[in-house]
Amino acid sequence: MSWMNIELILLITLPALTAVLMYFSRDFNQRVRNFLAVSGAGAELYLIVSLFIYNFDQVKNSNFFLQYTIGYQDTPFVINFAMDNLSLLFSLIVTGAVFLIVIFSTQYIKDKENRYFGLFFLVLASIQGTILTADLFTLYLFIEAITIFTTPLISFKKTEETTRAAMQYLFYGITGGVFFFISIILIYFNLGTLKMAAVAESFALISTPMQLTIIIFFLLALLIKLGIFPIHFWLPRAHSACPAPISALLSGVLLKVYLYIFMRLFWTMIAFDFLVELHLSAFVLDLALVSSLIGHVFALQADNLKKMLAYSSIGHIGMILAVLMLNTEAAFYGGMLHIIAHLMMKSGLFLSSGYLLQTTLSHHIDDLKGIGHKNRLVFIAFITVCLGTIGMPPLIGFVSKWYVLLAFLKARHFFGAFVVAAGSIIALIYYLRYISQAYETVKSESPSLKEELISLKAFFKSTNTMKSVIYTFTLLIIFFGLGYQLFEIPVNTAIFELLNPQKYIELVLGG
Amino acid sequence: MFNNLIFIILFMLGFYALIMKTNLIKNVIGLNLMEAAVFFWVIAFSDIGGEVAIHKMGEEVTKFNDPVPQALTLTGIVIGASTAALLLTLIIELNKFSGTIDRDQLEGLND
Repeated sequence: MSWMNIELILLITLPALTAVLMYFSRDFNQRVRNFLAVSGAGAELYLIVSLFIYNFDQVKNSNFFLQYTIGYQDTPFVINFAMDNLSLLFSLIVTGAVFLIVIFSTQYIKDKENRYFGLFFLVLASIQGTILTADLFTLYLFIEAITIFTTPLISFKKTEETTRAAMQYLFYGITGGVFFFISIILIYFNLGTLKMAAVAESFALISTPMQLTIIIFFLLALLIKLGIFPIHFWLPRAHSACPAPISALLSGVLLKVYLYIFMRLFWTMIAFDFLVELHLSAFVLDLALVSSLIGHVFALQADNLKKMLAYSSIGHIGMILAVLMLNTEAAFYGGMLHIIAHLMMKSGLFLSSGYLLQTTLSHHIDDLKGIGHKNRLVFIAFITVCLGTIGMPPLIGFVSKWYVLLAFLKARHFFGAFVVAAGSIIALIYYLRYISQAYETVKSESPSLKEELISLKAFFKSTNTMKSVIYTFTLLIIFFGLGYQLFEIPVNTAIFELLNPQKYIELVLGG
Repeated sequence: MFNNLIFIILFMLGFYALIMKTNLIKNVIGLNLMEAAVFFWVIAFSDIGGEVAIHKMGEEVTKFNDPVPQALTLTGIVIGASTAALLLTLIIELNKFSGTIDRDQLEGLND
């Protein structure tokens, strides 16, 4: 057992330990709390980056693999963690984004609210567990843990709207969890094992109707969690009700984690050919494209800034799911790049909206008049990220959208190409609506007492940490837009993992 | 066969309460009924009429029930109980804010 394998477990236990420390530190002052939070997230980032750098040669030859087993190897149910190139890529981008979000939250969340960071680190631990686990039941546990721990974070402000949103989120999340549980149990009764690799080896032995049932329940669970069209109502509400860093976590990070589970289940565990054979892949492709269009159209009529961003998330996630369903190498490349791009852009947008909305009366579009004049530089950053999501050339959003479009054209799927282009045009309209509103000149009325108090409070609160996180995200988007080739090696090796699931299966079963 | 019938009836009853009823507490009951149906079915299906899987060292047991589904069910029950508690807490909070636990009336309040 080398240090590397222990690092794998540390990735999950370290945030959990930080959470426990946070929970018992109610009396700490703000500085100690911030130090704990940033050092916890920083240690996590150090672990994963060091794993990436020390194993760079193996990653480049795409034979990187680590595993850690708790329990006896030959029993049907062991707790097994494994990391290959795909999980390494996701773990890396998720931890990077979470680190920046934590730095933002240290300023955004006021004193004496350590409960927030405790829950935040529990969510981080569950996310890492979801990415690293190699058996189905642990996967189920961690998914449920994510749902349970994010619910109090959504209702953190304790108003009527947030409570309703949290309740709806929990109802849908748990219903999805029940479907997931049914699927797992059916697999266990048919094959007598819960290891993903062992299931992958013998999934073809199950009778076709049973295969169909298992796949449909998995699909139902994941489509609910991803917020794909017929079951998407909960998503905009939940993602707009919570504090801004949590919106960034849910919309930027968590949706990508569910996409990762989707890939793990339908490419590594259940071979994608089964989906094609059962005519489900074409169905999911069309559903995701319709969902993408509907998300963008609903964003057009949303009068609340955060709700608009959440609807736009539905549009982007639908597009990514659709392009993955094409099952070609070009499609995977575009999809992976857009996952990374959307993670950065949506986190940046939600964080900057959180900064901008501190000084306004509400999130409604009418109350946003003149915020572009008040916070000039932050709003310019906001516009830059908006242009990235629309797909303007020097930014990373353009690169990823370009590859997605190419993949659709190469597969001769013209409806998909149409949806990508139309989504960009609609996005241009709904972002312009907000940007023009923000630059509207405000009549020089004498401000009411309430407004004055709010602006005074904002003045004392404003220090540079939040702003610098927003600028970091903006600069990252510009930087990676120019140098997207930096992602070539990790993305291509992750795609190798999707195309050759046999390697993962052999290595996990080999011990 | 009998087990499957009970599973389907219980599951559909829970699903009906979750979808059709407007009282939020009834919805929580429906969700728990759905979970209970699944757990019941798992235990019934894995029962092959054997002994308990716990036995002394050296003792020969030829036929015993598979302990894995039982372990999974126990974990599932824990998750179900905690989510039910969380949901009920949220409903109490909601009742404090708006004075109602009816889903339709809540929808009518805003948007």
